[in-house]
Amino acid sequence: MTRATLKSAVAALALLAAAPMAMAEDLVIGLRAGPDSIDPHWSTLGSQAEALRHIYDTLVDVDDNLQLKPGLALSWEAVDDTTWDFKLREGVKFHDGTDFTAEDVKFSIERIPEVTGPMSMTLYTKYVDSVEVIDDYTLRIHTKGIAPALPNDFTRLFVVPSETGMEARNEEFNSGAKAIGTGPYKFVSWQPKGDLVLEKFDDYWAETPIWEKVIRKEIPDDAARVAALRSGEVDLINYVPASDYLAMKNDSDLETFISDSVYILNVQPSVVDEEPQPITINGEPVDGNPLQDVRVRKALDLAINRDVLVDVVLEGLGTPANQLMPEGFFGYTDELGAREYDIEQAKALLEEAGYPEGFEIDFTCTNNRVPGDAVVCEALAQMWSRLGLTVNAQALNGTVFFPAAARKEYTMAMSAWGTLTGEAAYTYGALTHTPDEEKGFGNFNRTGYSNPEFDKVFDEGAQTLDPEERRKLYEQASYIAMEDRALIPTVILQTVWAADKDTLSFAPRVDQETRAYEITPVE
Amino acid sequence: MLGYLVRRLAQAVVVVFAMSIIVFVGVYAIGNPIDVLIDPGATQEIRAKLIAQYGLDQPLWRQYFTFLANVAQGDLGTSMVYNIPVVDLVFSRLPATLELVFVSVCIATFIGIPAGLYAGYKPDSLAARAIMALSVLGFSVPTFWIGMLLIMAFAVNLGWLPSGGRGDVGSLFGIPTSLATADGWTHVIMPALNLSLFKMGLLIRLTRAGMVEAMQTDYVKFARAQGLPDRQIVFSHVLRNISIPIVTVFGLELGSTLAFAVVTESVFTWPGVGKLIIDSILQLDRPVMVTYLVLVVILFVLINLVVDLVYARLDPRVRLKGNA
Repeated sequence: MTRATLKSAVAALALLAAAPMAMAEDLVIGLRAGPDSIDPHWSTLGSQAEALRHIYDTLVDVDDNLQLKPGLALSWEAVDDTTWDFKLREGVKFHDGTDFTAEDVKFSIERIPEVTGPMSMTLYTKYVDSVEVIDDYTLRIHTKGIAPALPNDFTRLFVVPSETGMEARNEEFNSGAKAIGTGPYKFVSWQPKGDLVLEKFDDYWAETPIWEKVIRKEIPDDAARVAALRSGEVDLINYVPASDYLAMKNDSDLETFISDSVYILNVQPSVVDEEPQPITINGEPVDGNPLQDVRVRKALDLAINRDVLVDVVLEGLGTPANQLMPEGFFGYTDELGAREYDIEQAKALLEEAGYPEGFEIDFTCTNNRVPGDAVVCEALAQMWSRLGLTVNAQALNGTVFFPAAARKEYTMAMSAWGTLTGEAAYTYGALTHTPDEEKGFGNFNRTGYSNPEFDKVFDEGAQTLDPEERRKLYEQASYIAMEDRALIPTVILQTVWAADKDTLSFAPRVDQETRAYEITPVE
Repeated sequence: MLGYLVRRLAQAVVVVFAMSIIVFVGVYAIGNPIDVLIDPGATQEIRAKLIAQYGLDQPLWRQYFTFLANVAQGDLGTSMVYNIPVVDLVFSRLPATLELVFVSVCIATFIGIPAGLYAGYKPDSLAARAIMALSVLGFSVPTFWIGMLLIMAFAVNLGWLPSGGRGDVGSLFGIPTSLATADGWTHVIMPALNLSLFKMGLLIRLTRAGMVEAMQTDYVKFARAQGLPDRQIVFSHVLRNISIPIVTVFGLELGSTLAFAVVTESVFTWPGVGKLIIDSILQLDRPVMVTYLVLVVILFVLINLVVDLVYARLDPRVRLKGNA
């Protein structure tokens, strides 16, 4: 390097250091995960929906607590058992200037089965039999059977213009040619695992967004994300790791935002006749499966000290859970009190069930899926050892865990479950209903739990259109499954965001989404 | 010479085949990618449909032969996660890794070899001891930790350099690279330095060891007795003689740096292929895994070939015969 080039390099460095990192009217966010494609019908992944929500609108929207609110549809009602009518918003424009009409919604619904990937969006259209356009702003959906949760499904129905054409694939979206929606921001550029750059859309139907430009940087490494915030390269980061949270909370330059998430860590005791990994006493397999005895499952539950899990193990970033969903969700029952911690009663129950000396059991969980999964897993193993059990805890990478869990290879496992639709049918239908391909229930029932009484109440709920009646039935179903200890919920995980002190104001969301248009600068 | 090349390339093909089979069997043993990717709310029906759609219900050998047949037609597959051709995906990120590796190799070479020569030339001097101490640090302290320290010092505390990312990308001879812009250089310098430390340490120690040994040999004594200046002895005789082990290690290191720059890429959020492969493994994105590993094998074979050719140039005693 010659002296001249060296000099200019140094000069450039000095200039860069002096320049402000981000203009006031721009917002730069550092995120753990971004989209996999700009095609909104490609994947159901949460990070995908979060990013694409800036460009496209959904038919139905959700508030901070995942309760339904109008999106592109102003209102909806069930006309009869298999028909839903949606009244659409008028005067909405796409980014290319064309008007939004019912035809666009019809096209979007019909496009989904043609283009969806391995995380199939057909999940959200599985009840749709046919779509009928009544007029420009009225849409009629004919469903397969009774579909009370259709509006919930449509919270992920992103609308693209009907001019998009059936043959458009990911490439056309990623390049920006087809990345046209009605959302608050226009697409500028994106690279897989790179930055998503967005520009304000002046004709947005709701409040015009504040930020001229939004740059969503994907920084999966926790430490790198924290460093990006501390060096001023980004204005806000999500998923602050627990290890940095305390330091940040005490740092006068930074501000943290905290919220419950929809994710709950659940213990899944397998209740099949022959457990996949043998349960032993002194090396000898026991007769039958001890976990089939509800007293044993209750003992396991009573031996969990949820306060310790929250305060010590998760450094305060959690809340004790007593059912599979957070409070306030559709179908959450108030009948269940907080879970008790009573080691003596647990021991008594275990003795009553015929295992005064305990037994040896394998316990498997993930170590990279959600913050804290591995540490909670180890802590549980220790808590159960106080009960007299020998627990072989094993934390595995999700890549290994999930295929094996799908093959039902674990006697007792723990994984996180998030009620992403905000209501009980999604969770209980998948986790605790008896597996039933016909009805599409029990597809994530890894424990073999089957209770005809639960199924009856739940099925009735799934066939009831009246929201209040349905809510009651789901609450009852929730109560039955939890009294049975079909699964043992432990803690609700919390999510933390961080920003420079007094720069941004932002209401954290339970679905962990970071929506740029809901973030405002502090004057 | 030609026979030698053909032989080497034939070997490479066999290795690539073996590699693709190992990867296929490995992924198959872990399980169905659909189980990792699928949405929790999906029904059995949706799951079964997807498995059939991706051909994952077929026996392993048939899946493998389908893959081979596609490769024969020049189709290395489409990423399951991104739905874009794997080749496009890998090559869209390769320039970023290449430029990072290029800068780090330059730093390692232009600092490491002169420092090693000096340390071997005057082994007892204070500077030589300092160089040796630093070289030990270079390859004994973990990369990610030094990376974090660099970020803490230069990005967070001093605010001189950005903490991550690739910066503005310009164009140099038609290739998009951040080496063409000043902003790009500020982004590349810290990760490249971090990536070079291990190699630099290695080069320093190798060069020094060779140097110390060579300085006591007869040819150096004769050269000195002849009155040749030390500068000429070191640069035109000693350096050439000690180059063989340095070139070997350099070649091996170049390959592994290219293939496994992943730690540095993660810490500095550098959008290279290392990050891509780790993400693909976590999602069992089989087409990307297979293609990438096959590319790495090809890369190693090529680098070894180049290293062997450089040997011949450096040392006439190494003959490139058909049976080499």
